[in-house]
Amino acid sequence: MILRIKFNKKNYLRYISHLDLMRLFQRSFNKANIPIKYSEGFNPHPKFSIGAPLSLGIESNEEYMDIDLEYMAVDEFIERMNGVLPKDIQIISGKYLEREESLNSIIAWGEYEIQFQMNTKRDMEEVNEIVNNWLQKEEITITKVRKKKGQKIEKAINIKPFIKHIIVKGVGDNITINALLRTGSNGNLNPVDLMFALNRDNGLSIDLDEVRIKRIGLYAEKGDQIYKPL
Amino acid sequence: MINTKILDKILNKVEKPARYIGMEQNSIKKDLDKVKVKFAFSFPDVYDVGMSHLGLHIIYNLINNEEDFACERVFAPWLDMEEEMRKEKLPLFTLESKEEVKNFDFLGFTLQYEMSYTNILNILDLANIPLLSKDRKDEDPFVIAGGPCAYNPEPIADFIDFFVIGEGEEVILEILNLYKDHKEAKGSRDEFLEKVATIDGVYVPKFYDVVYNDDNTIKEMIPLHPNVPKVIKKRMIRDLDSMFSPEKMIVPFIETVHDRVVLEIFRGCTHGCRFCQAGMIYRPIREKSIDRLVELAEKLIESTGYENISLSSLSSCDYSQLYLLISELMKKFEEKKVGVSLPSLRLDTFIIDVLKEIEKVRKTGLTFAPEAGSQRLRDVINKGVTEEDLINTVTKVFKEGWSTIKLYFMIGLPTETDEDVLGIKELSYKVKDIFFSLPKEERQGNLKVTASASCFVPKPFTPFQWVGQDSIDEFYRKARLLKDSIKDKKVTFNYHDPKLSYLEAVIARGDRRVSKLILRAWEKGCKYDGWSEHFKYDKWIEAMEELDIDGDFYALRTRELDEILPWDFIDPLVSKNYLIREYKKSLEEQTTRDCREGCRGCGIVDCIMRGEYK
Ligand code: SF4
Repeated sequence: MILRIKFNKKNYLRYISHLDLMRLFQRSFNKANIPIKYSEGFNPHPKFSIGAPLSLGIESNEEYMDIDLEYMAVDEFIERMNGVLPKDIQIISGKYLEREESLNSIIAWGEYEIQFQMNTKRDMEEVNEIVNNWLQKEEITITKVRKKKGQKIEKAINIKPFIKHIIVKGVGDNITINALLRTGSNGNLNPVDLMFALNRDNGLSIDLDEVRIKRIGLYAEKGDQIYKPL
Repeated sequence: MINTKILDKILNKVEKPARYIGMEQNSIKKDLDKVKVKFAFSFPDVYDVGMSHLGLHIIYNLINNEEDFACERVFAPWLDMEEEMRKEKLPLFTLESKEEVKNFDFLGFTLQYEMSYTNILNILDLANIPLLSKDRKDEDPFVIAGGPCAYNPEPIADFIDFFVIGEGEEVILEILNLYKDHKEAKGSRDEFLEKVATIDGVYVPKFYDVVYNDDNTIKEMIPLHPNVPKVIKKRMIRDLDSMFSPEKMIVPFIETVHDRVVLEIFRGCTHGCRFCQAGMIYRPIREKSIDRLVELAEKLIESTGYENISLSSLSSCDYSQLYLLISELMKKFEEKKVGVSLPSLRLDTFIIDVLKEIEKVRKTGLTFAPEAGSQRLRDVINKGVTEEDLINTVTKVFKEGWSTIKLYFMIGLPTETDEDVLGIKELSYKVKDIFFSLPKEERQGNLKVTASASCFVPKPFTPFQWVGQDSIDEFYRKARLLKDSIKDKKVTFNYHDPKLSYLEAVIARGDRRVSKLILRAWEKGCKYDGWSEHFKYDKWIEAMEELDIDGDFYALRTRELDEILPWDFIDPLVSKNYLIREYKKSLEEQTTRDCREGCRGCGIVDCIMRGEYK
């Protein structure tokens, strides 16, 4: 049976890569004695997958994972797993799926809370104006460098369609915005790239290394309906 | 605590930030204000390497098991991290509490290879601790060191306040308890050094003076304090079953060299290979019992969630009941899908059965270490492996389905001729011929033989400690000779950098004056010397020229048997007479058999092996 769970990833554990997170879960399943199913074949591995992997350095309030296992009560699963997982990666809720539908095929949007500082102090209205004017632009392009057979290939991408909205939440010592961005296998905008473009186009002198990003929601999309995977 | 805002900023810029965050499973974070003694343990290399070191897990858990003590870890930051730390003036910190290393009572280094010494200086510098022992004040930590390279402590005697010689499980707690009382009594730095110098196995360099002859050899080592011993005797644990053994291991988030439980099954090795320092300094053999090992394995698997156990020792096939141990472990963990593996193999047909047992599915590459290409030279170095052994083993291994074989050799061994060197090619070709002489249906996969040659480095406390190393040019000549002679696509030959081995030899057999060389090399930017891409040979040579230090004096010169060696004041239990005897026998191409078949009189008084291994 497929159990879908929601978990978080906080504080310093935002520096754990996706691959390392997978290994952490694998060991934790062992430690918690979870009856997880294994793939067939030469080199069997436990069957679980994480939807829309998070980039290094980003925290998250909700990540999703599907796990193939022999039935066990959800409460017990959560209790046992949280007992062996680090305190900054904990499972929040879970539910057995009624019909199979892979996370990767349904996740389409991610909502991010982004905190940063600008060169000069601006009030709510000013920040709103900057952001809204920027989003009025026809196109917002960034250049992505990919390595292919040792060669660097540059590609210009228009990220405008990947931005659903940006809401300015607060302007204290830090400015806080929420951004709903395309996330997943059918188009993906990394919030770091969003901040890069925002900074570049508006000359805001944001220190990109000090931008703090947290994923606060992941959404699936079907037709024009947007909903949570759990 | 350091400024974590700066840390946050830096972590966004560096490769593998998880190296610096700690918080791994089974790591222990105590309230540093509540403990009485704070110990920072350092492996002077990058996190990924250091975390694979078994000794770290032992000492870490041993110290943290005591309520009054805390042990935290610090590694050498990788170069990108160092650059950011220096730019932001962020001092070096421990992973657990993110506390400045400078605020600890002790900073303890484990010395696993000589080429990590510049990293020690770099760590001290990043921690804002004076580099030289003589410059440290009451408020600075005691900088201490142990591990195999501490058997010749002299090349870093200027940097280290005191050394611990031998196995640390007992002595480290004696030291920390002594310090606890000392701290409560508010004693001075020198008072503590005087007291600690009387603990067996502890060496405090500042209480000794070295006098040299006109030819630069050592005339005398003079104790400067009435209470310090003339000879420092290594510490050794007699019973491994009752000794502290960790039941937990820190599980790194990032992938490290060993991603598995490491189970130490015994200490010591008695094959008596004459180039091998470990074989001499860890004598005699002491095993853990099967019951104890199964108990530890269970706890370690449970506390880590790992799916593999690696049986660790100098020569794991020597465990007296290996077969039984492996079957017991397999039985215990059958359901849990836990695998068992052996890292070090000897050429012994017996291993085939064991391998079959443990490598049920995977046919990964196998490694053998004949060390020398000819039988004559293998006799010289006392590597008790014959060509027949190798042929038998390899034949069986091929029949079992392996096809990737690695062969380890050394070049530059004492008495080596070009014929011996070319023997490496002969042996590699023989391995290839065995594969193709098997009927087609019996061989599987694509054959790949890799012959690797390292350059021989004479080490203290081996029968070859007097031998001069080959020059760099000579190493290159021999390596080329081999490379040019190997023309088969199935056989690959590679060799280690002779320049690195030369410096290793300078330091390994260096005396106190080599401290200055290491310091100067570090000042010139040397660090991570063990990583070939960061090794700056030219800088080392420059440093030697500036200081008028002759590297050849240490590396290439053959010592007289009656010369006072820089490490002679250390007693590794094995006697110098035995080493001399072995040296002489080697020149006569005579072998010495494993002492499990009968004591060879290596000098260990009250040896627990005698009588036991008949
Ligand atoms: S004293 Fe004898 S039995 Fe003990 S290690 Fe030495 S040679 Fe072997």
